[in-house]
Amino acid sequence: MSLAVTVLQQELLPEGLNISFKLLPGIIVVTMMLSFLGVGYFYKVADTENMWVAGRSIGNVENGMAIGANWMSAASYLGMAALIALSGVYGLAYVVGWTTGYFILLIFLAAQMRRFGKYTAPDFVGDRFNSDAARALAAVTTFLIGFVYALGQARGMGLVGMYILGDITAVLPIPGVSAYQAMMILFMVVTIGYLALSGMLGATKNMVLQFVILIGAFLIGLLVTGWSAGFSTVLPQLEYGALISELSAEFSAPFAGGSYYLWVATCFSLVFGTCGLPHVLVRFYTVQNERVARWSCTWGLFFICLLYLSAPAFAAFGTALYGSEIGAVYGDPGMSSAAGDVIVVLASQLAGLPTWLVGLVAAGGIAAAVATVSGLFIAASSAISHDIYANIINEDATQRQQVLVGRLSIVAIGLLTIVFALDPQQPIAALVGFAFSLAAIVLFPMFFLGLWWENANRQGALAGMVSGLVLWFIPMLNEGNFGIINGGDGWGIEIIATWMPAVGSALVATPLVFLVVIVVSAVTDEPPVDTKMMVRQCHSPDPMPKDKTAADVVAEKTDNVPPADD
Amino acid sequence: MYNRILIPTDGSTVAEAAVDHAVDLAEKYDAEVHALFVADVDAVTYSLGTEQVDRIRQGNFQGMTDLREDAEEATGYVRGQAEPLGLSVVERHAGGRPHAVIADYAADNDIDLVVMGSHGRSGVRRALLGSVTERTLRSTHVPVLVVDYERAEE
Repeated sequence: MSLAVTVLQQELLPEGLNISFKLLPGIIVVTMMLSFLGVGYFYKVADTENMWVAGRSIGNVENGMAIGANWMSAASYLGMAALIALSGVYGLAYVVGWTTGYFILLIFLAAQMRRFGKYTAPDFVGDRFNSDAARALAAVTTFLIGFVYALGQARGMGLVGMYILGDITAVLPIPGVSAYQAMMILFMVVTIGYLALSGMLGATKNMVLQFVILIGAFLIGLLVTGWSAGFSTVLPQLEYGALISELSAEFSAPFAGGSYYLWVATCFSLVFGTCGLPHVLVRFYTVQNERVARWSCTWGLFFICLLYLSAPAFAAFGTALYGSEIGAVYGDPGMSSAAGDVIVVLASQLAGLPTWLVGLVAAGGIAAAVATVSGLFIAASSAISHDIYANIINEDATQRQQVLVGRLSIVAIGLLTIVFALDPQQPIAALVGFAFSLAAIVLFPMFFLGLWWENANRQGALAGMVSGLVLWFIPMLNEGNFGIINGGDGWGIEIIATWMPAVGSALVATPLVFLVVIVVSAVTDEPPVDTKMMVRQCHSPDPMPKDKTAADVVAEKTDNVPPADD
Repeated sequence: MYNRILIPTDGSTVAEAAVDHAVDLAEKYDAEVHALFVADVDAVTYSLGTEQVDRIRQGNFQGMTDLREDAEEATGYVRGQAEPLGLSVVERHAGGRPHAVIADYAADNDIDLVVMGSHGRSGVRRALLGSVTERTLRSTHVPVLVVDYERAEE
C-alpha cells in the first residue's frame, strides 16, 4: 500500500481512547437500537386489502434524508475525518469524490433510471442487455460490493463500540478474541439479527431516523468540542482554518501523505463508484416520477454536505488535541490508524466533554454503520433471492421460498463480513474505497452505456463485466487484501501498486471497461429494436405516466395494444 | 349454503390445484368466486428491497410491473376457470402478511368458504418455509377447505 498511513494492526487498540464500560453511553446505544426496532414495527406495512389505492407518497426531503443515511456510513462519519487526520490533504479526495459523484448521478443517471423502472441493479443490467448471464454477473458484483463495503462498517462498529462498552473480553474471556474483535462480532450479530428477522431496518422511516441521529450527533459533537477546547465558536466548519498554520506540515501541506496521482486516482474511483453503487441507485426506482428523483438527489447531496463540510474541522480539532495531550501525531510511532478511525470520538473525549455527550457522538457512528449495512445487505439479499434465485435458478419460486433465500443470504454475507473483519488490513475509508473501485469498474459502465448508448449489447456487457472483475482483483490481490496471497503480503508488484492502487484502480480500469464494451458491441450484432426503443424512451421529452416503465411504453408502441387498465 | 367462495392464490401450481375444487363447488351453489392475491411484504423486502415495500404502502402497485404481472396472472387463472361456467368473479390484489389478509378479507366480505391449496410439507421444510394455510386456519372462523397438492412424480 503506497499510502503513508500503513500501520501494523495486530492488536486493534486505539491509543488514548478511554476503553471502559460506561453506563450512560450504553443506555444511549441500547435505546437507539430499540428505537430502530420500534420504528420498523410501528411503520410496518399494514395489511392493505387493495394495492391499487394510493397512499401517502414519500417526499423529496424524506427521500433525500434516506439517501443520506443509506450513503453516509462509518466511512463518512469516522473514516473521512480519520484519513484527513492521518494523511492530511490526501483525505480531501474523499470529501471531493463522495460529493462530486452525485452530480454525475443527478445529470446522467437518476431520472433515466427512474424511467427504466426496474427494481434492482441486476434487474436493470439483465433487462437492458437481455441476458441472464449479465444479470448473474451484476448480482455477484452487488453481493461483493456489499461484502467489501461492510468490512469497513464492521471495523468502525468494533472500534467505537470499545469506547461505549469497554473490553468485554475482560469480563467474559474468549480465548483468541481481542477486545476489538469481541465488540465487532457483537454489533455485527445484532445488526444481522435485526435484518434477518425484519428487513424493515432499511425502510425509509428508519433511514430518516438514522440520518437525524447521525447528523445531530456529529454536528453537536463538533460544535461542543470546538467550543470547549477553545478552537471555535459557532461555525467550526470555517473557524478551524485558524488552526491550519499551527498544525504539522503533514496535515496542511498538499500531498505530503500521498502522491498527486494517488489523489486523482482515489477521487476518480469515488466519483464514479458513487454512480455505480446498487444500494444508492435503488432509491431512484421507487420515487413517484423523474422530477422527484432529481430533487431527492439534490436534497440527498445537501444532507451529505452537512457532514462532509464538518469532517475536516473535526479532523483538525482531533489532530490538535491528540498532539497536545497524547503525543506527536506524525512520525514514529505517531497516531495509529485505529486511533485515527475513532478520531471523532477521541477528539470529543480529549476536549473534556461529558461522557454522555461523547457517547452520543459514538452512537452516531454506530447509527451510520447500521444504516449503511442494512441498505447494503438488503441489496445483496435481493441480488441473491430475486435476481439469481427467483429469476434464474427457480422461476416458480414461491414468495416464502424467496424470504427464506433472502434471510439465508443476509446471514451468509454477515458471517463472511465478520470473518474477514477480524483482522482488517486497512483503515475504514480505504476498505470502503475498494468497494467504490469495484462499483466504478464493473457497474458504472453498464449503467452509463446501458442508458446512453443504444448499441451497447449483450456481448459487450458480458465482456466488460468479466474484464472489470478481473481488473479489480489484480490490485486487490497485489496489495494483499483478503489475506489470501502470500499470507496477506500480496504479490507486491511495484508498478501495479504505483499506477493502479486498489483504492483508485478505477482511473485505469473504468476507461478500459468502457473501451471493451464499445469495441465488442461494435463488432457484434446490434441489440434488438425493442431494446433500442427502450433506451430512447428513457430520454424522451414527453412526460411518462408514473405507473409505466420504459418497457411498457415500448410494448404499446410496437404492438399498438391499448394499455392495460385494471 | 355457500354464496361467496374465496380462493387465495399466489399463482403457484399448488394454489391452482385448489381452483378446480372451488370452481366445482361454486357452480353447484351458484356462488360468487373471489380470487385474492397477496403480495407477501416479507418477500418484497428480501427480494426486491425495502424501498419497494414503501412503494406498496404508497399504492404505487401499478409501477411495479413484475409483481403486477404475477398478481394479474394468478387471479386471471381463476377467472379463466370460473367465467366459462357462468360464474361471477371478483379479483383482488392485496399486500401484507398473507394469512392475516386472507382472514380479514373473508370477514369483511361475508365469505362463506375459503378453498386453498397446501404443499403438505413436513419436518424441516415446514419449519423453514412455514405454511400459509396452517396460519390461515388459525386466524379465520370461516370454513376452510384445504386441497393437498401432491406431485405426480412422487
